[in-house]
Amino acid sequence: MKIITMDTTKCVGCRNCELACAYMNSNTSCERTYSKIRVNHYIDEQTLIPLTCLHCEEAWCLNVCPAAAISRDENTGAVIIDSDKCAGCKMCILACPYGNIQFDEKDLVSTKCNLCEGNPRCVGHCVGAALNYEDVESFNERARKKVDRKIMDAIKHQCKSMEVENDK
Amino acid sequence: MIKYKEGEKVRLVIIGNSAAGLSAAKTIRKYDQKSEITIISKEEGLAYSRVLLPYVLREKVDYNNIFIKDKAYYEENAITYIEDEVVALDTLEKLITVNKGQAIRYDKLLIATGSHAVTPPIEGLNGSGIYHMWTKNDLDDLLPLFNQKKSVAIIGSGFVSLQAAWAAKCRGLEVSIIEIADRVMPNVLDKKGSEVMANHIVDSGLSLYTSMITEKVERQEDSSFKLHLKNRQPLVVDFVIVGAGVKSNISFIQNSNIVYDRAILVNEKMETNIKDVYAAGDVAAGPTVFGDKHMTHALWPTAVEMGEIAGANMIGKQRRYQGSLNMNVTQMYGVTVASMGIFDDEQIDGSYEFPMDQYKGYIKLCYKNSLIVGACIIGESESVKLLGKLRPIIKKGLRIDCDPEKIESYIDIQAFQNRY
Ligand SMILES: Cc1cc2nc3c(=O)[nH]c(=O)nc-3n(C[C@H](O)[C@H](O)[C@H](O)COP(=O)(O)OP(=O)(O)OC[C@H]3O[C@@H](n4cnc5c(N)ncnc54)[C@H](O)[C@@H]3O)c2cc1C
Ligand code: SF4
Repeated sequence: MKIITMDTTKCVGCRNCELACAYMNSNTSCERTYSKIRVNHYIDEQTLIPLTCLHCEEAWCLNVCPAAAISRDENTGAVIIDSDKCAGCKMCILACPYGNIQFDEKDLVSTKCNLCEGNPRCVGHCVGAALNYEDVESFNERARKKVDRKIMDAIKHQCKSMEVENDK
Repeated sequence: MIKYKEGEKVRLVIIGNSAAGLSAAKTIRKYDQKSEITIISKEEGLAYSRVLLPYVLREKVDYNNIFIKDKAYYEENAITYIEDEVVALDTLEKLITVNKGQAIRYDKLLIATGSHAVTPPIEGLNGSGIYHMWTKNDLDDLLPLFNQKKSVAIIGSGFVSLQAAWAAKCRGLEVSIIEIADRVMPNVLDKKGSEVMANHIVDSGLSLYTSMITEKVERQEDSSFKLHLKNRQPLVVDFVIVGAGVKSNISFIQNSNIVYDRAILVNEKMETNIKDVYAAGDVAAGPTVFGDKHMTHALWPTAVEMGEIAGANMIGKQRRYQGSLNMNVTQMYGVTVASMGIFDDEQIDGSYEFPMDQYKGYIKLCYKNSLIVGACIIGESESVKLLGKLRPIIKKGLRIDCDPEKIESYIDIQAFQNRY
């Protein structure tokens, strides 16, 4: 299955993704409130993080929905909300550990990223190539390599400081 | 996993066709296509969601949307469904006695029978015109009244009662809420939260009486009710909804050796004291993330989680529950109300209230031994996300090293760094 991945080092904070998503979902407006992806600016930390649903393998929002309104799309594997079934109880918002479900204050239902049926508009409009639509496995593989590298660095670092110790 | 002999089929029986029972069945079928699954339920018709009943009363949700499984689901997943009431259980013979049909044999049993609403011992508080808001039958009884009648008294001000009261208000009824305690929603909000909520209720045009004892309910000739209140003028209403607590459905285990207190006691694998008998959901008292051994929340998410653990262990997967974390959310009286974990003022040793403008509402973080153990919200939908992000932190008892007002950014960045 493919998901939208984010590389924060490449995000320039232009919020094109938000505009594209908002337009895709509203058909009329690029207003941020319609967007299911949010580029958060963390000013103190000088960090930009675009956040949208990870379509978790064990999706807690899906398991917990008391209206059976959340399911997995057979084709894309996306975790999707059926707005006709959604009661607007907000239990899914409480369930998502990443804040990736929005509440539509007009229709009073929960909404979220549905991967645009396999053609996510945010990725298409990302100018910095920070957003990618890629296979979960290859993403996990890359993440694992990064972690491995971090561990290796840490070990090397430790070894070095041990050498210093030994030299004394 | 279960080891099968040639041609052998293990009979897994689940009593209860709701949150806990269905979650168990789903988990079993995820790993095991061979075992026989039987679900028994005494309520007529398709499985439905209790959580949605107040939304139907309010006309926010269509009646047909309360059903969470259709007939085909049982066929597709090879689940036998029996509509009957379990009246007795023999754990030695592994035999279930039902009201109408033949006794049912099991190899492994899950009790997921939920709970029922109780009526406080008030003179005259019974018979027609007095209702609960707990089952689909209750909903069927109440729906016509919401169309015909003009006034209702709600006895109790818990989460469900207040939703019923709000539904009645939305439908144009005159609503009085009578609460014996000194504040509303003590199980969902801290003291200040209760005050904030009470103001929203009164501002929405309902009458709210706290610290109020109902001494007697008198049926009048015109079929309305006169509620005699202590030290106050009587109240006359067309009908009454009672929401004064719930009790686990355990009458059928009285002659078995299953250990129960107010609910069936289960361990972290949802096992009862009797081999091959499990319990989950509102009928069970299991471990919490805070280290309590036996607690019943009577909440949908807890029932789903417990059912999942029970199902996995019934087929021999060694799954242990990390413990339940109570959480509640709804929108009523023009605000979003939510809470999680421990927020009772007596049980915490510190708290932080966000400035009103940060999240546009009342939001409080609760601490114990410098760890966040809970939170309450009366405000906007957006702030519910904060509770969602806090859930893993409270569950794991993680220490947060940042100023409370920056907590959400802190969690976002941590979560992101852990993933990438
Ligand atoms: C009006 C209302 C609103 C609610 N709102 C919320 C909310 O917003 N958030 C939240 O978290 N929780 C809410 N709850 C609580 C939530 O619905 C319950 O915690 C949840 O349904 C528990 O699931 P369960 O599977 O344990 O039991 P139940 O849902 O009670 O199901 C019990 C099942 O057992 C069957 N059964 C019982 N006795 C027998 C018997 N003797 N023989 C055969 N079958 C039997 C019943 O037919 C039923 O299928 C609400 C409840 C109500 C009533
Ligand atoms: S909404 Fe949240 S919990 Fe649900 S699949 Fe997406 S990231 Fe996971």
